[in-house]
Amino acid sequence: MTPYVFDNVLVAIDGSEGAQRALDCALSLVERLGGKLTAVAVEGKLPAYAATAGEVDEVKQEKDRFFHRVLEEAESQARKRGVEMKAELVPGHAAEVISHYAKAHGHDLIVIGHKGHFLGDYLLGSTADRVAHHAHCPVIVVR
Amino acid sequence: MDSVQLAAILAGTIVLASVLSVEVGLSVALIELGLGVVVGNLFNLDANVDWLVFIATFASIVLTFLAGAEVDPDDFRERFGAAVSIGLVSFAGPFVVAGLIAYGVLDWDPKAALIAGTALSTTSLAVVYAVLVETGLNVTRIGKLIMAACFVTDMATAIALSAILITPNIWFPLFLVVSVALILLLPKIAPSFFRRYGDRVIEPEIKLVFVCLFGLMVVANAANGQAVLPAFILGLVMAKHYQHHQEEQRRLRVVAFAFLTPFFFLRGGLNVSLGAVFANLGLLAVLFAAKMVPKVGLIMPLARRYVPDHATFTTLLMSTGLTFGTISSLYGLQAGIIDQTQFSLLVTVVVLSAIVPTAIAQRWFSPDIEAEREADMAQSDAPRARPASQPVPAREQA
Repeated sequence: MTPYVFDNVLVAIDGSEGAQRALDCALSLVERLGGKLTAVAVEGKLPAYAATAGEVDEVKQEKDRFFHRVLEEAESQARKRGVEMKAELVPGHAAEVISHYAKAHGHDLIVIGHKGHFLGDYLLGSTADRVAHHAHCPVIVVR
Repeated sequence: MDSVQLAAILAGTIVLASVLSVEVGLSVALIELGLGVVVGNLFNLDANVDWLVFIATFASIVLTFLAGAEVDPDDFRERFGAAVSIGLVSFAGPFVVAGLIAYGVLDWDPKAALIAGTALSTTSLAVVYAVLVETGLNVTRIGKLIMAACFVTDMATAIALSAILITPNIWFPLFLVVSVALILLLPKIAPSFFRRYGDRVIEPEIKLVFVCLFGLMVVANAANGQAVLPAFILGLVMAKHYQHHQEEQRRLRVVAFAFLTPFFFLRGGLNVSLGAVFANLGLLAVLFAAKMVPKVGLIMPLARRYVPDHATFTTLLMSTGLTFGTISSLYGLQAGIIDQTQFSLLVTVVVLSAIVPTAIAQRWFSPDIEAEREADMAQSDAPRARPASQPVPAREQA
């Protein structure tokens, strides 16, 4: 059996408590095992069926500001723990983007929080469930 | 029910709509429209009290101005021929087909049929824009083409609506002169006026825009018409200015979204009779088909020619509608051209056309953003792709 090698880890973050625990877990893993760490934040849904482009712009700008604070905070935590981490903000639907991103960038492990920010996580099943279902690699869901 | 009680109910509904919008990720306008239907049918609220009609009418003009101001002229220049072709066909096809069906098959009055044609010919730039921004496609060539084509359709709708609603009288020349004068003067006055008086809590720059819009409404009323077209063009000529002064545009939106547009969409919903909709489901299906079939049938061949890889996606997004469709229907109702049943059917079709094609396009036909960026990079005149880690201003300046 080929041993698993986790040297290119992806952690999904969104500013929620669950995502913070996932980031802690991913940082701990990379501290112990070495390898590369990437944090990705998915700038999720904009108001669907908007009446003016302005409404979309406003929400988009709010999300930009929020997620850049989230990424900066994550980078700061990684620096403090001596872990080199790349951070990216990508648009799209969280579960789909995280799975695709991991495959496209050759990640061999995804770390994700059990519950994120989205109301849909409570109503439709979590993003973590869907990532675990679609991912090409092992997924750690952090409680 | 007195005015204060009605205002209190509507204010409560507006707050609820805002909260729901944030929680469920739907646009506040669509929720206001929906809640308007609910409270209107539950409490039998009067949608035609003077103050509500006044605010809603002014809001529709402000919305039209904002729609013009949100157009990026550079998007339009990039693929002029394709945008004009798709945009014009997107308007003309449903306008003619829906108008003929309403007149010939549904036996509506000629003017009511024209309102039906206009309301169902629209394409929603805002609905399309949200899809494109969410996927990052707004900065790609295909995204810019679709937005430019939406603008052409919007412009054609504004022209058609203005033409249908006007019965020219001796004040018509004054309406023309004032419209042209404001369109020429405001972009020239705005920079110095905004520099001298802008950026204050008393908002002189917003008041200047509002007085121009009120001026248009006054002369339009005198000429037996509506200020839709000049308000749209006024927004359009101010678009470049707002691109460089986004905070001014933001404050204008704050005023519009906080106080004006909720009353417009709520009033739209209040006028919808659920009973009329459920009693006429067959007509609803006919009107929905009268919008979608010509949109799909006529845009698809052009889309195959200009964007062969994403013809279905382009066609579906050009088949959406919301704001201009609602404005057209509400103006038709207000002018007594269509009755409440016709209004209810048209607004329901407009809302369905915001949801159904968008959902299908997003679910099954959304282009791969990375592939589109690579394709754009391959074009010598394409904009440089932005690394995903950098912030993407929603209205990226080309």
